[in-house]
Amino acid sequence: MSQIQERGSTHVYKVNRISKEEIDSMAERCVYEEPPFCSAACPLKLDTRAMLRAAAAGDFKKALQLYEKVAPFPLILSMGCEAPCEGVCRLCEVGDGVAVRAVENALARCAPQSRTGLVFRTKKRKTAAVFGSGLFPLFLAGELEKKAYPITVFCEQEDLAAFLHCETPFLDEEAFALELGRLKGKDIDFVFGCEIDAAFFEEKRAQFDVVCASARVAKTVFPDAVCDEALMFFEPQKLVMGCGEGVMAAAFGAKKAALTVDRLAQNLDPRNTRGQEGAIETRLYTDLGEAKALRRVELPAGGYDLDRARKEAARCIQCHCEECLKSCAYLRHYKKHPGLLAREIYNNTQIIMGDHQLNKPMNACTLCGQCTVVCPNGFDMAHVCHLARQNMVSTDKMPLAPHEFALLDMLFSNDEAFLCRPQPGYESCRYVFFPGCQAAAIAPETVKAAYADLCERLEGGVALLLGCCGAIGDWAGRYEMTEQTRAFLDRELGKLGEATIIAGCPTCRKELSDFVSAPVTGIWDVLETIGLPEGAEKLPRPMALHDACGARGDEATQTAIRDLAAQLGCELADTPYSGDRSPCCGYGGLTAYANREVAAEITEQCLERSELPYLSYCMACRDRFARQGRESRHLLELVYGANACETPDISEKRYNRLTLKKELLRELWQEEPIEMKLDFSVEYTDEARAMMDERMILTDDVIAVLDEFHKSGEAILDEDGLMVARRRVGNATFWVKFSLEGENAFRVHRAYSHRMRVEKREG
Amino acid sequence: MAIEKNYYTIDPQGKLLCVKCGVPLIKGKAKFMYLDNGFPVELPVCPSCGFVYVPEELALGKVASVERALEDK
Repeated sequence: MSQIQERGSTHVYKVNRISKEEIDSMAERCVYEEPPFCSAACPLKLDTRAMLRAAAAGDFKKALQLYEKVAPFPLILSMGCEAPCEGVCRLCEVGDGVAVRAVENALARCAPQSRTGLVFRTKKRKTAAVFGSGLFPLFLAGELEKKAYPITVFCEQEDLAAFLHCETPFLDEEAFALELGRLKGKDIDFVFGCEIDAAFFEEKRAQFDVVCASARVAKTVFPDAVCDEALMFFEPQKLVMGCGEGVMAAAFGAKKAALTVDRLAQNLDPRNTRGQEGAIETRLYTDLGEAKALRRVELPAGGYDLDRARKEAARCIQCHCEECLKSCAYLRHYKKHPGLLAREIYNNTQIIMGDHQLNKPMNACTLCGQCTVVCPNGFDMAHVCHLARQNMVSTDKMPLAPHEFALLDMLFSNDEAFLCRPQPGYESCRYVFFPGCQAAAIAPETVKAAYADLCERLEGGVALLLGCCGAIGDWAGRYEMTEQTRAFLDRELGKLGEATIIAGCPTCRKELSDFVSAPVTGIWDVLETIGLPEGAEKLPRPMALHDACGARGDEATQTAIRDLAAQLGCELADTPYSGDRSPCCGYGGLTAYANREVAAEITEQCLERSELPYLSYCMACRDRFARQGRESRHLLELVYGANACETPDISEKRYNRLTLKKELLRELWQEEPIEMKLDFSVEYTDEARAMMDERMILTDDVIAVLDEFHKSGEAILDEDGLMVARRRVGNATFWVKFSLEGENAFRVHRAYSHRMRVEKREG
Repeated sequence: MAIEKNYYTIDPQGKLLCVKCGVPLIKGKAKFMYLDNGFPVELPVCPSCGFVYVPEELALGKVASVERALEDK
């Protein structure tokens, strides 16, 4: 029996570095965190999506708070802003864009204001002065007050109302009163009635750490003043100043100026770490397929009230890209977008000491490549997880337990169950049939019938190779095992000459094409050429076709399968996510072994697409659908009228492969296989059989334990009167509870295992 | 004398019998080992042949969870 060496220790203090550039180049393909189009177009970076979401939910206070984050005087901004967000709203492509400005205006007028003025705030030690009046000084004073600078405004006006009225003639009486209330509520010192000239300016500026001025005052004091618009700064005089006209220019200018004040207050260069300012490009993708309510809520002359604003805000489709999450049950299970999950999985590989908490998600991806097809930017989660698995294997940090059963199964397929023979009567063959390990395990009769048909109808001889293509080792990230498997298969295939490989499984076809020099084709291609055999029969009811993930990007195979189904007369219903967009059944990437919970969710999602019986062309898909209780057929079952076993358990899958090999050796090559005879008999209760399948315990493991007991007599008699024996097999200790049913006859009641070794200690 | 640490203790209380030796199992010293980590425990042990019994609940409970934790180290 084959064994795999378990890693020796958890104390491995090395990592194989993955460069940041490599991580970034992959993770940045995910646009989930890109800003929506409205926010990207807004120079003030208003979180429009969140504001509209809050308003749509009726949480107007929160919506206004979000707006006030960028607009200290929200009514002025909402009445004077050019609303670049509205022009880029994606709804414009299918109807009316959201009336963002009208919603903002309603919030600013009617929404309850938060009582931030009453909250005690520690002020900054550095002081700032603003000279002049108008929109820029007003907004800048608001921004600096928000940043908790002790701030003094020097203006020519005689009172607060006159100061506010300057450059805001568009405010109606009600709006003016509201904004005046807001201005009064702010912690800003005003010095009114100033005659601001050079002397006055010079006298006052010495009292402040940072000085700012309107464009007009700056020009008065320094006639040569030129504003650097990126910083809102006249560097020779260290003067923060305004420029430009209009509400948006003033608001954006004040934002930039406030940041410049920050840098100056810290004695830093104002160019220092400013981040991205102003409107930006966004790469976000939005599916407009589900966009509803295409017309704007009617806007009365006085603007929206809160109820209308809520309805208009509810039209926002909350632009976000979740194309992969919609289609992939694995990503949904972990509730993370792939950009984030990829970074976390990469980080997991780089842990020198401590828990690798992302092992489970890393091993739960089916590596099927669906995300790459559905993602507008081709994000490749399979590459991320596969690379991470290989990385962990390379540093000896990869746990063997999640994949050991599957890897042993691969070794079993290419050892005890392996068979490679030319067709009887031939020394070399033109073809070799490679049905795949799952076909032999699940549908041995179908394999037999297919091989007999190929031998009969193809000229030049058809050899047979029963084994595993190596996909299992590759999925597990065990590159050495994969290479060994490939070298082994290459040698065995080489013995047959340059025979064209006829794969029975799309994954095998893909894997074999990667490393064998001989041409590889699919049995579906051959059947298209030579026609269906006699007796091929459709299922007499409509079926849903499930495309195999192994055939993703392989249009020829997908077409051939549909052609054959049509020739059979199958009535096929199309499903969402078919062809290249098809999800994996849950077997791929060894998810079914490493994370059964996720695998079950993936299978369930596959079946949600249709109520009909499923037609597939990968035996693993066929088996997983049947296990979930759905009527399920592999195309070859219909072609050859030879059905697969219904939901064979893990031991039966091995037994089927061995039996197929033995029967074929006996029937076709007249070789009598060597049978291992046990000198005791074993039977299993139904409970034991189900338990063994659930716990991945093979009948071979149980027999090994009983054989040991048979020889040594070592066992325990437990409280229930059952015998309990054990044996270490490979990396696990198996325990079997059994009763004696006469001499040399055992009845197995329960079985369990653990990977830890246990031994008596002295002392 | 230092107090010896035990991660887990089961006393069979005479309810388990070693089939080979025909004697009841007693609470004895044993050790679990996995991936170069050791855990001293007290389990049902045959005083005669030294057979250490790991009950199903222990194997599927505590042992399995410690295995998972160590595997992710």
